[in-house]
Amino acid sequence: MRKATSFSNVEILAPAGSFDSLQAAAKAGANAIYFGIEQLNMRARSAGTFTIEDMAEVAAICKLNNMKAYITLNTVMYGHDMQLLKTILNAVKAHGIDAVIASDFAVFEYCTQLQIPLHISTQTNVSNIESVQYFARFADVIVLARELTLKQVHEISSEIKRRGICGPSGQLVKIEIFVHGALCMAISGKCYLSLHTQNASANRGACIQNCRHTYTVRDTETGDEFEIDNEYILSPKDLCTIDILDQIIESGVAVLKIEGRTKGADYVHVVTTCYREALEAVLEGTYNREKVTGWMRELKKVYNRGFWEGYYLGRKLGEWTHQPGSLATERKIYLGKGRNYFGKIKVGEFLIETGNLKPGDQIMVSGPRCGMVREQLDQLIVNGVEGTKAGKGDCITFPFATKVTANDKLYKIVEAANG
Amino acid sequence: MAKIIHYRNKCIGCAICFEQQPELWRMSKKDGKANLIKALLKNQVYQVTIHPSQIELSVRIAEACPVKIIKVTQSENN
Repeated sequence: MRKATSFSNVEILAPAGSFDSLQAAAKAGANAIYFGIEQLNMRARSAGTFTIEDMAEVAAICKLNNMKAYITLNTVMYGHDMQLLKTILNAVKAHGIDAVIASDFAVFEYCTQLQIPLHISTQTNVSNIESVQYFARFADVIVLARELTLKQVHEISSEIKRRGICGPSGQLVKIEIFVHGALCMAISGKCYLSLHTQNASANRGACIQNCRHTYTVRDTETGDEFEIDNEYILSPKDLCTIDILDQIIESGVAVLKIEGRTKGADYVHVVTTCYREALEAVLEGTYNREKVTGWMRELKKVYNRGFWEGYYLGRKLGEWTHQPGSLATERKIYLGKGRNYFGKIKVGEFLIETGNLKPGDQIMVSGPRCGMVREQLDQLIVNGVEGTKAGKGDCITFPFATKVTANDKLYKIVEAANG
Repeated sequence: MAKIIHYRNKCIGCAICFEQQPELWRMSKKDGKANLIKALLKNQVYQVTIHPSQIELSVRIAEACPVKIIKVTQSENN
């Protein structure tokens, strides 16, 4: 039986750092995606950031898939950014992007002038009801600080209803929280480590992730150096709330945000799928431990630094990563890219550039049309005939639902050593 | 001869180059990225010849650029 209808509008908001991830989010059942363009977003350093010219296509793909599109404009803004900001916002208005996620008042001001819906970014560090009430004059959705406990989130949600706090649309203000993905060691992302060491401001989207390294403590009297307990003492594990998702929904949040605009389509697909299924299960009353175990197993397969449930249950930050990079139980190995598509018979051709492939291998294709497609290759057709092995220089063909181009990348999925 | 090479596409508009060396840099009012004054566009990168007295500061700025898109080159016949 479905739970109270007030929860049935809960949205899953997925990250789209590339067209591959955008398609993956659509196929996995996201209600909305968020993306950044040019340099005024918190992932400006990312290689795959969209340009202003891509906005029309992003909007079209979202419309086709019945997803809302939110654009992030949440960096610190300087005077020289104002013209670009106006250019972007005019394009946002023209292409019908559903909302802007922002933390700088210049963005609030322009969005208000242009009547573009606004979401208050987590960078704004909204942590109490009075702040919510203040920002409600600008925005219909407020992303709360990631450092709050669920009790605090619940109190804020309840108080919005009790006070009847409405946004510019006249509807009650909605609360959004992060449910999955990387966490910052600094409060609401306001970190200076990267700026101090490399002049690369995290608050301009240029974070070089100093926190993900190991550090030693040096006794200045003796010169003795100690590596701290073999831990990455500045690198928090990743947030994962799928095992408390029922409590998250009960707390009254309306939008569940997944972090990961720099991650691959496989990550976006797996994480969005798991949270979509978990949300449906909570709403239908079929959410249980057994299902949670299954979702956790899936989530561990893609990029992660190990999981904890963040601050929501009142824990202090002490869950540090033990290893560099990802603890994913599966690894993707690049094999080659798309070469041809035989539309009538729906067969794709891929050129193997590196590595090898044999029948029975798990493969994954990531591309701007297909998003992420994963399957087991039962029959291997190498250079037009059935074979037992394919290597560098070989062309392989297999049935594929969407058109294959050179932008489609073929990977082999293998178990990771740390799995 | 020393040159500054600017891979402008990846600029995030932090303005450190303009702050430190305004005689060579401007912030574009159009797109918020840095412009290398009087630079020529060659093979998708901007280049300008600088005076030897400008090398030291230019190298420091290249190091300070958060996205490392500024290079200072010096040819041997200098």
